[in-house]
Formats: sequence, C-alpha cells, structure tokens
Amino acid sequence: MEMLLMGLCVSAFGLAVVALAFRAATRAESSDAAVRPDLPLAKAAVPARLFPAQAAMPPALTPQQVPIELLLLQIENHVRLEQAAAESFIEFPTQALLRSKTTSPFVN
Amino acid sequence: MTYELLNDLTSAEVERVLELGARMIVPSGAPLFRLGDAADCLFLTTRGRIRLTLPMQIRGQEENILAEEISAGQTVGWSALIPPYLFTLTATAPVEAEVIAIPRQALHEYFAANPAAGCRITQNLAVVIGHRLHLFQTMWLREMQRAVEVHSA
Repeated sequence: MEMLLMGLCVSAFGLAVVALAFRAATRAESSDAAVRPDLPLAKAAVPARLFPAQAAMPPALTPQQVPIELLLLQIENHVRLEQAAAESFIEFPTQALLRSKTTSPFVN
Repeated sequence: MTYELLNDLTSAEVERVLELGARMIVPSGAPLFRLGDAADCLFLTTRGRIRLTLPMQIRGQEENILAEEISAGQTVGWSALIPPYLFTLTATAPVEAEVIAIPRQALHEYFAANPAAGCRITQNLAVVIGHRLHLFQTMWLREMQRAVEVHSA
C-alpha cells in the first residue's frame, strides 16, 4: 500500500514537472511573438560579414550584356579546360573522365 | 632541341631533314598561314608558341577562336603532307616565334631517297594526327553530351 502511494506521488510529481515545463515553453513562444514587433530586424542591423562580396554582387548579366572581349576570354578559357579534360581522358580513358563536369562559366 | 616529328631518327638524319627547311621568324601577332591557304610547307616550331584558330560568328562578326596551341618542338601545318594540301586552320604567333619551314617537295624527295627515315617520320606524323583526332573527338563528345543533357532537362 505504501509502495503504491509512493508510486502515485512520484507519478503526480513527474506529471506536474512535465506540465510546468510545457507551459513555460509555450509561454516563451507566445511572449516572443508578442515582443517580436519591437525588436530591431537582425538582418538589417548586422552587416553581412561572411559573404560581403556576394551580398554586394550586382545582378547577373544576360549573355547579350557580356562585353565581347569577356565573352571571347570565356570561350578561350572553355576551350583550354575542355582540352585539358580531353587530354586526361586520352591518357586514362574512362567513362567518368569523359563525362566529368567542367567549371567553365561559358556553359554553367 | 628535339622535334616530335623527328623522334627515333639518328642525329645525322635529323640534321639532314632540318637542312631541307628554312628558319622563319613569325613576329608577334602575325599569321604563319590562314585557313584555306595552299599548304606547301610543314613547320617545326623552334621557339615561342603558335595559336591555331577557327573562325566563328559571334554577334554578327567573325572571331578567331582558339582550337589548339603549339609550343616549341611541336609540328604545325601537317596539311602540307595530306591531300588536298590546304590549311584548315589559321596559325598566328601570340608572341614572336621561330619555325623551320620544310617544303613538301623536299620532304617527298628525302623520303624517296631515305625510305627508312621517311617511314619513321610518317609514323611520328601519324602520332601527331592521331592525337589531334582523339582530342577533338573527345571534345566533340563532351559537347554533345552537354547538348543532350540540356535538351532532355
């Protein structure tokens, strides 16, 4: 009988602890939601530090906007990369080398 | 200086073949030959680099696009030994280059008089042509693979 009462007490205490923890958690969420409008926006306040260049990058140019000199350089770079890939394939012919992806911006 | 076209020849044979040609300086930016020109001479590059280019239409204007770059010791203009004896690329020197121009006629006469050396030179030429073929075959296949992927995406 004593054991049963002790078990019930421990269970009731555990249930109470869980209920309190649950309530505290849900209250924190709701209070966050209430406070959120007053908080400054983190994105606006903190300058981008990890990728500042990326953040400042202008919108991508369309193919027609790329200056022809740059386009010719890209083509030449592409040819050199493809030749290097082809040379690797000729030296060790495998399907994987034949289909290896290029980093050339001309086709990416 | 060793030349890929003259591999496995004795030093006397190499000397004799080189004597068939004439040294030429190609100033920076100047063409060695143009696409469609008669190919009467084969060239051995002794110094500098030679750019082989193909014409492409880009935004309505013709541009020479790099196909291959040849460095010292390599052979340029093997069209001189292959009918119809017309250059199929344009060759220019991005920086001043020096080549030995060997006329086809002189080479043919040398081959007739020295068939063993002629055979070795022809084998070396086959290596040069075979490498070009494999290179362009692979590049073509890679471009086709990309085209297939774009069309099936």
